[in-house]
Amino acid sequence: MALLFKDPNKISAYRDRRFPGTQEEFEHALLTSITVYVGNMSFYTTEEQVYELFSRAGEIKKIVMGLDKNTKTPCGFCFIMYYSREDAEDAVKYISGTILDDRPIRVDFDWGFQEGRQWGRGRSGGQVRDEYRTDYDPDIGGYGKLVQRELEAQRQLVDYGTGSLASLPPVMVPQYGRHGGNHGHGGSHRHGGRDYHRKRHREDDRHGMDISKRTSDHESRRNSDQDSRPEKNPRFRESGDSDDDEDDDRKRRH
Amino acid sequence: MSSWRNLILRIGEKCPEYGGTNDFKDHIETCFGVVRRELEQPGSDILTFLLQCAEQLPHKIPLYGTLVGLLNVENEDFARNVVENTQKNLQDALEYGNCDRIRVLMRFLTALVCSKVLQASSLVVVFETLLSSAATTVDEEKGNPSWQACADFYISCILSCLPWGGSELVEQVPEEIERVMVGIQAYLSIRRRVSNVGVSVFEDIDAPGKATNEKDFLEDLWGRIQDLSNNGWKLDSVPRPQLSFEAQLVAGKSHDFGPISCPEQPDPPAALSGISFGKQKHEAELKYPQRIRRLNIFPANKTEDLQSIDRFVVEEYLLDVLLFLNGWSFLDKEVDDRKECAAYMVGLPVPFRYEYLMAETIFSQLLLLPQPPFKPIYYTLVIIDLCKALPGAFPAVVAGAVRSLFDRIAELDMECRTRLILWFSHHLSNFQFIWPWDEWSYVLDLPKWAPQRVFVQEVLEREVRLSYWDKVKQSIENAPALEELLPPKGGPNFKYGADDSDKIELALSAELKSMVKGRQTAREVISWMEGSIIAVQGWEIALRVVVQTLLDIGSKSFTHLITVLERYWQVIAKICPDQDKEIMLINEVSLYWKNSAQLTALTIDRMMGYRLLSNLAIVKWVFTPTNIEQFHTSDRLWEILRNAISKTYNRITDLRKEISYLKRSVLSAEEAASKVKAELELAESKLTLMDGEPVLGENPVRMKRLKSSAERAKEEVVSVYESLEAKEALLSRALDENEALFLSLYKNFSNVLMERLHGLLGNNMLRKSGKADAMAIDLEDSSAMELDKESERPQKSSSNGGRTGSGYSVGEKDQWCLSTLGYVKAFSRQYASEIWPHIEKLDAEVLTEEVHPLFRKAVYSGLRRE
Repeated sequence: MALLFKDPNKISAYRDRRFPGTQEEFEHALLTSITVYVGNMSFYTTEEQVYELFSRAGEIKKIVMGLDKNTKTPCGFCFIMYYSREDAEDAVKYISGTILDDRPIRVDFDWGFQEGRQWGRGRSGGQVRDEYRTDYDPDIGGYGKLVQRELEAQRQLVDYGTGSLASLPPVMVPQYGRHGGNHGHGGSHRHGGRDYHRKRHREDDRHGMDISKRTSDHESRRNSDQDSRPEKNPRFRESGDSDDDEDDDRKRRH
Repeated sequence: MSSWRNLILRIGEKCPEYGGTNDFKDHIETCFGVVRRELEQPGSDILTFLLQCAEQLPHKIPLYGTLVGLLNVENEDFARNVVENTQKNLQDALEYGNCDRIRVLMRFLTALVCSKVLQASSLVVVFETLLSSAATTVDEEKGNPSWQACADFYISCILSCLPWGGSELVEQVPEEIERVMVGIQAYLSIRRRVSNVGVSVFEDIDAPGKATNEKDFLEDLWGRIQDLSNNGWKLDSVPRPQLSFEAQLVAGKSHDFGPISCPEQPDPPAALSGISFGKQKHEAELKYPQRIRRLNIFPANKTEDLQSIDRFVVEEYLLDVLLFLNGWSFLDKEVDDRKECAAYMVGLPVPFRYEYLMAETIFSQLLLLPQPPFKPIYYTLVIIDLCKALPGAFPAVVAGAVRSLFDRIAELDMECRTRLILWFSHHLSNFQFIWPWDEWSYVLDLPKWAPQRVFVQEVLEREVRLSYWDKVKQSIENAPALEELLPPKGGPNFKYGADDSDKIELALSAELKSMVKGRQTAREVISWMEGSIIAVQGWEIALRVVVQTLLDIGSKSFTHLITVLERYWQVIAKICPDQDKEIMLINEVSLYWKNSAQLTALTIDRMMGYRLLSNLAIVKWVFTPTNIEQFHTSDRLWEILRNAISKTYNRITDLRKEISYLKRSVLSAEEAASKVKAELELAESKLTLMDGEPVLGENPVRMKRLKSSAERAKEEVVSVYESLEAKEALLSRALDENEALFLSLYKNFSNVLMERLHGLLGNNMLRKSGKADAMAIDLEDSSAMELDKESERPQKSSSNGGRTGSGYSVGEKDQWCLSTLGYVKAFSRQYASEIWPHIEKLDAEVLTEEVHPLFRKAVYSGLRRE
């Protein structure tokens, strides 16, 4: 309602460079869209968590998780399609800036999901912003990709076990310190009964030998992260062992 | 934004535009100086913007009124325009029944009287018009008392003006105001007191008679206004900046305006009671809803000690901020409207503190029945933002509200309990799940149906859904025993995941998995299923193997589930062709997801989306014997039932929207067609020279084009009509289905309740009494008294934390009945608008004489039926 505060000429500061139309068409798409973009998510947040939170704004039609091009794992964003415009508006109004999985998420109108947009656009497969990040954030894959590559290069040169990586201990999660107390993190029970790893293996299996090099890099990085911080959110479920095709199929279908 | 805009917008705020000061007199002078100069520019849109600000920031109305008063002295025309525009807007708002606008514009007119812009007698004419309309409405001879909600609203608007201009009006037109007050008193004596039955947040179980003796909202407001009048119209909550400018303001010309009129009410129903009266009353209450139902959740010594009228005014301020600053500007990232909302709520122009009042007001909205003006998640956000804006004060107040509501949870309406669970879990998820759970660990000693225990269990369930099990487990570290109330940790429960499962079924399941992996089509899977399982093993095994296996393939995520349903729904449809099989299907789903209430509900919901499950099958399944046993101990089944009904309702809503859109399209298509047709006829009637000869019609090329576009336009009309007809057919089918749904729902409720209420209160039922209602109250008393005795104990012991044994003595069967009746009421209330149209059929088929009076009472109070 409060149109008073709003500059009516501006809808969104963000302009998707891949939108195939004019600025007016882009804005029209935003004004009528029933899709929202959710950003700044933890890599460990599941679709079911997203569902629980966002269904409080209205009935959800579909969720598309943003995936790393290479690892096919979540990389911190998703699209949510509602059945009605009103519900999409409410999601933007009421959920943006609130916390999901310990992170303040961002919710924006999106011009509409299309095949291909679920993939991260960064050169390393994830989101562009994660290419250049230099902080360490375990919820979103540790260091930024460039830093990671640098670290791995160092390791290849020097490290055969406990080399330079050990001398570069990751900074522990600044965001929790801010809230004070030891609440919520670091308990040893967090190691137990986690099927996250198995999921990673299974996903990696699917892509066969051609990327085995990267897979092993990835795994070793994973393991090195693991030393400093337990992995999160065991809600990634493992089910049968034949759902790999399903995964592929789903990505093709959109 | 230009500076005059910012000055008008930000007036009264401590902000850079006004050099960070908070002096209203300075603000008005500064703003007046700039706006006065700006008015000399031709074509300025000051008028529109000023009126918008007054309407959308109504807590600043005294400042805007004074500003217009000062401008009036210099620029009479401008002020006259303000008055005329406001009158026109008020007239429009009355026509449309736009309650908020009516209320706010009348307040603005009052402020204009205070600043000598408007003659007091003009405002009195508005009062008298509304009063006379209200009096007519409730007149049984001439009016339509079923629309009392509208009449009450008009009266409340008149009374609401008085805190802003009571003393000026009494000074300027004492006799007229006296006349209005006498008129209102007369009105109050002929109207019927509005009962809170069905819409009060707390059941008045301790005093059944209280509800009828208590003042209703209008009598309450009347009492506050009388207090104000007795206090010489003095109050703290309304600033009176006009006093500083009195000498200037008197120099302005007081304007006048013509009469306004109120819309006529619809024709009255034939009888003053009964179904048609009830339907109209329902419609009126929907259109003119009660704005707030006060929640007294804090002990009197905690809340701010305010004059009764100040409480009313602050509530108005808060509700207006919530209404007008409802997060819209999120579209514009540079202005964070939400922060504006919290900032305005915190910075009201009153000289006292009001954190408790603010919390009570927000919670009263979150829990408002039948529904709040906005989705509950909005209030969640407001509370989060206020906790951040007032970190020292507000979190403690919120915690106090939670404790108080928790203490009285057994009295809380079922719908309100659900909203409270959703809000609280979401709120905690935004603050690292920190809560002193040890205060509540005593609920473990309560029986599993005790409302407090169920509340804790459901909050934890929702927390796990928003986060994950280990995290929530860790958050209850200070009360580790509560782990018992956490939902099960495990994932899916796949029948063919373990080696001990049936060898044949295991093999079939593996075969199906490999078929899916091999991208076999649904058709191929169906023929395999028919040939290899149904024919050999029978239907039941086929259903189990297929459903379990497909669920398992889709178990990895929400998207996986949708994908597998999209590819193989035909297989499930084939194996579940009728309602009995659908129920078996739900059984498999609930077995497979027995560890996850969320995924059970979600899967059933999606299957209903693919029309694999009908809402009737879901209702029937919910009322199967093993499920009934969980009605009072968990929300699991109610969630599934709520989803099924709301999905049905959403479909109907969508169809209605599409139909109203198509109706507009028909009109515009017809318009376009007739325009083209007229053009064509005109062209045909023209004479054109062709090869020197005059022929009828314009040149052939144009004629051909016109003909074909006329043809196309006609086709367009036909096609829009066809889609409209198709949608209307769909809607009428959907409405029939809806009727069947509610009939089935009520029949099931009636049956299960009949058995248990009879079993429980059989003796009471023998008391033959013609008055079902009186009896119903008696019956409720018996359990209510037990409840009441107990509700005192938790309050005492929660303070010292010591609690042993069972602190809740309502028996299991009693609780089952109380909970189930509570849900009957909640469903009836939530879908009252959908139920009223089918009420005749419901009366004939369900609400017959044999029905249990307590069940009837629950339905009636949900529908607010008399």
